[in-house]
Amino acid sequence: MSCPNTPELIADYCDPMVSAESLQRHRLHLEGCPSCQQELGRLRPVPARLLRWQNLAMPDWDRSSMIRPVPNRKSIPSRVRTIPLLARWLPLAASVVLTIAVLTQTRLEVNEQGWAVSFGASSKLDVQQLDAYLAAYSRAQEADTREWVQSALKTHGETTADSVYQWMMYMEQQRELDVKRMEAGFEQLLDRDFQTVDSVRQLASYVMYQVAP
Amino acid sequence: MEQTDNQLIDAALAGSVSAWEMLVRRHEHRVYNLGLRLLHNPDDALDLVQDVFLGVYRNLYRFRGESQFSTWLFRIVHNKAVDLIRRRQTGPELENWFEEDIPEPVHDLPGPLEACLESEMNEKISQFLLRLPPAQRLIVELKVFQAMTFEEIAPLQDIPVNTAKTRFYTALKNLKIMMEAQS
Repeated sequence: MSCPNTPELIADYCDPMVSAESLQRHRLHLEGCPSCQQELGRLRPVPARLLRWQNLAMPDWDRSSMIRPVPNRKSIPSRVRTIPLLARWLPLAASVVLTIAVLTQTRLEVNEQGWAVSFGASSKLDVQQLDAYLAAYSRAQEADTREWVQSALKTHGETTADSVYQWMMYMEQQRELDVKRMEAGFEQLLDRDFQTVDSVRQLASYVMYQVAP
Repeated sequence: MEQTDNQLIDAALAGSVSAWEMLVRRHEHRVYNLGLRLLHNPDDALDLVQDVFLGVYRNLYRFRGESQFSTWLFRIVHNKAVDLIRRRQTGPELENWFEEDIPEPVHDLPGPLEACLESEMNEKISQFLLRLPPAQRLIVELKVFQAMTFEEIAPLQDIPVNTAKTRFYTALKNLKIMMEAQS
């Protein structure tokens, strides 16, 4: 017949740190409990048998491996180490330089005297030069046209001169007609703009009228 | 005069390799022999020692000196041992982790225990322990070999003190059966 106190009693009898009060309580219980007496007699030698274990010597091992700092990697020549660094930063550096060049309008000029770098808007190409260039171009065009007309007159005579005159008159009429059509188009566009503004005004007043109490 | 564990710990934390090695040498044999009993394999026992002291070193700054170093150490030992036992186990044994059933008597151990040579004695003891469910094996190890109290063991296994005592009693009964069968 088993006793509910047996586990605690056996455990406490195997515990050298058990309190004197607990041991006294178990002794009193043991006097009246044959089951616990029998179980204690049977199991008490077990821990003693286990303690016949003979401690074995610890094999040698690297005890400080976990605190020893990791040795530095073999030194690499500085020239070799800088190559990956250059490769990493070169595209970025090139981008920055190009961005600065664009923002500052950097220009490189190469001529017979050598080369020069300048920043900002061009100081040479101003409005007067542009007008002079356009006037020269116009003069050249006019001279070309005159030369062509004179050459045509020499080749084809008066008849051709009349035809050229009529053609020039026709072109002049067409140009005047185009100007008139353009003016009429602008006027229609302005009228439509006025109509649109007027429509928007009407819509706004309608909305205000509907919303107002 | 021999330095205390706390003095060695302070020196180790300050970077003294010799203090750390002295601390390890002072406690490693207990951990190693625990590993031999629980894992039944010298290589696994050495793995346990290395795992334990690596864990100790990493957490050394957390040791406040409020309890004994050995108590704190065996908390780490217990957790590492449980991990290792679980890793070494396969299949159905895992399900028997907390099983309290009495195992089959061992009939294949040759000769009476008392007649064994010392080296064979260790083999027999470790085979007895190996046949226990891991939770019982651990409680016997901590109670019998490490002389810990049930109040110290219970929180390690996350169980009430009375459950620890019942588990220990069951383990002793199982060991007794194995020893009787063997003799």
